[in-house]
Amino acid sequence: MRGFLTTRTAVLDWLRTLGQQEDVFFPLPLGENSFSFDKVRQHSRLAFEDFDAAPGEKPFRASSCVQPPGKKLSPNNEQIFRFSKNAHGEYQLTPTLDERPRIIAGLRPCDLKAIHLMDRVHSDDIADAHYLTRRRNTTLIAHDCLQPCDEHCFCDATGSLRWRQGADIFLTPQPEAKLLLEALTERGERRLDDAGFAPCSDIEERRALAEEKRAQPFGRHFDAPLQRVIDTVSDSWESPVWDKHVERCFSCGTCNLVCPTCYCFDVQDDYNIDDPDSGQRSRRWDGCMLEEFAVVAGGHNFRPQLAARQRHRIKRKLAWLPARFGDGSFCVGCGRCGHQCTVDIDIFDIANDLLAATEARP
Amino acid sequence: MKLKIAFFDMASCEGCQLAILDCEDIFLHILDLVEIVEFREALSETAPRFDIAFVEGSINREMDADRLRDIRARCSWLVSLGACASHGNVQARSNALSPAENLQRVYGAEACHTVHTDPEYWPLWAHTRVRAVHQVVKVDYHLRGCPVDRHEFLHLVKRLVAGSLPRFARQPVCVECKYNGNECAFAHGETCMGQITWGGCDAICINGGYRCDGCRGLLPGANLEAHRALLRERGLGEAEIDSRYRLFCSADVGPQEAQP
Ligand code: SF4
Ligand code: SF4
Ligand code: SF4
Ligand code: SF4
Ligand code: SF4
Repeated sequence: MRGFLTTRTAVLDWLRTLGQQEDVFFPLPLGENSFSFDKVRQHSRLAFEDFDAAPGEKPFRASSCVQPPGKKLSPNNEQIFRFSKNAHGEYQLTPTLDERPRIIAGLRPCDLKAIHLMDRVHSDDIADAHYLTRRRNTTLIAHDCLQPCDEHCFCDATGSLRWRQGADIFLTPQPEAKLLLEALTERGERRLDDAGFAPCSDIEERRALAEEKRAQPFGRHFDAPLQRVIDTVSDSWESPVWDKHVERCFSCGTCNLVCPTCYCFDVQDDYNIDDPDSGQRSRRWDGCMLEEFAVVAGGHNFRPQLAARQRHRIKRKLAWLPARFGDGSFCVGCGRCGHQCTVDIDIFDIANDLLAATEARP
Repeated sequence: MKLKIAFFDMASCEGCQLAILDCEDIFLHILDLVEIVEFREALSETAPRFDIAFVEGSINREMDADRLRDIRARCSWLVSLGACASHGNVQARSNALSPAENLQRVYGAEACHTVHTDPEYWPLWAHTRVRAVHQVVKVDYHLRGCPVDRHEFLHLVKRLVAGSLPRFARQPVCVECKYNGNECAFAHGETCMGQITWGGCDAICINGGYRCDGCRGLLPGANLEAHRALLRERGLGEAEIDSRYRLFCSADVGPQEAQP
């Protein structure tokens, strides 16, 4: 695969130029302490982190990026189909597929792994045409992390830190404010061939240079290897740990709605006020921590207790989906849920508490 | 046949009715679906029976309660319109004070003795209290908020017209706040009532850079103990917390559990 070497500024200028022709999403500052993948405009202030950045000096933190970039592939409230009545009085359905090309740039290994997992989920069994159509038309430009982004991250512990699969172009920080750009797919190659950056002949050496620079240990680590965590969460059903971690919980769903591997939704039909014979079905993001999530027709709620909902969430991330897809942890360790929960309930602590509780068991 | 709808106002600022009149861009289409038979803000007619009654405002006087019972008897669905009707709103703050103290606060220590307090005419200070609509008659649906959200109003009308059930998700403001990708108020040193407040407003105040003050009322089963503890941790004193909780009074009047 081909590689190029150029300055950070040149790459940012390139993204700004691309942003004038198509939708380019990049992590931009939001509010006082957050980030948001927003559309790049001509005068957007874009930044990549420095090769020599000390921890804490980084321009981007995954956990304070409210919505993960992968949500651009299944936006909230997306229309699934429109309906209308034809001349014979029969309803006709027209699926809505979004084929606009777009680029998501500056996304990190944790979010990249999450998109890979969402690709698996949405291609499994009944393929989700809405997601897959957007995905097919999306170029992913990922960026390596040499320092843990903040005190919430545990991407190395969940096996996401070195994730590259799914990226079209992968950026690795280099000394002297430079970036190594590697095309990992044909689409990435085409994009880079057009960009006019200088080819790089010593890709391996440059990768190794960055690897040497990578912080060791990197971010938080569980009290046991990942497989033990997964086994422990899989075996924990009745446990006081579930109750402990909901004492302060509001059942607010934030931990679901900001998670890059939460994909549940709720569908709604609505008719047009100016033509009641036509309308649309749309879906909005849902989350298993919300009280009404498991209510079925007739009003029965399968998980009225909050602790049971918390257990369900954690088992989806660290037991059931890993077993179903065989692609490792479905928690990618981005740290969002723990950071954005207003009472600091963190899947990382829950996993460690379950490990400790299992150890203590006779 | 078109559904007949009627609007009534009790103790309120009529802002919710105005919020609905604000649907002017689609108002004519709404009139294709329903017939408005009573609406003091826009019409002078009155009607003996109607399908949906929207009641705005809290119930402060016994004569209002009687009027409300009469409305209930004349409609199929009764909808509480806005925070006053749904949980009393700011005027229900007076419930926390004795009638004498109320008088003093409103009119001052001297003048309060000269205020006419004929209980037949104005029993508020004398012996009654501010009530939400559901504390007097059965309410079928609540449109919450100060003022109501026009999308929720439209949703309700469209669903009832189509013969299906309106749905107002029982979830806090945080959900829509996250839909909109906002930075959480707590992430910049602010505090917020969003986690314990009934959503449906599209988190409009946080979208605008402010916090949620809880105008849509307390979510049933909300974890108040944890919320008060969090506000304390963020530096709010007990009195300040009480005042936040009491602003729209939903904590005092209590949420109505039943919402079909
Ligand atoms: S969690 Fe890890 S991979 Fe994700 S941004 Fe932080 S350091 Fe990078
Ligand atoms: S974000 Fe925190 S408070 Fe909200 S549901 Fe999740 S764990 Fe509970
Ligand atoms: S469970 Fe939490 S830390 Fe794990 S991927 Fe989801 S948001 Fe990130
Ligand atoms: S700002 Fe308020 S409503 Fe929004 S997530 Fe934070 S607590 Fe919830
Ligand atoms: S954000 Fe809070 S205060 Fe604002 S409209 Fe919604 S419920 Fe009311």
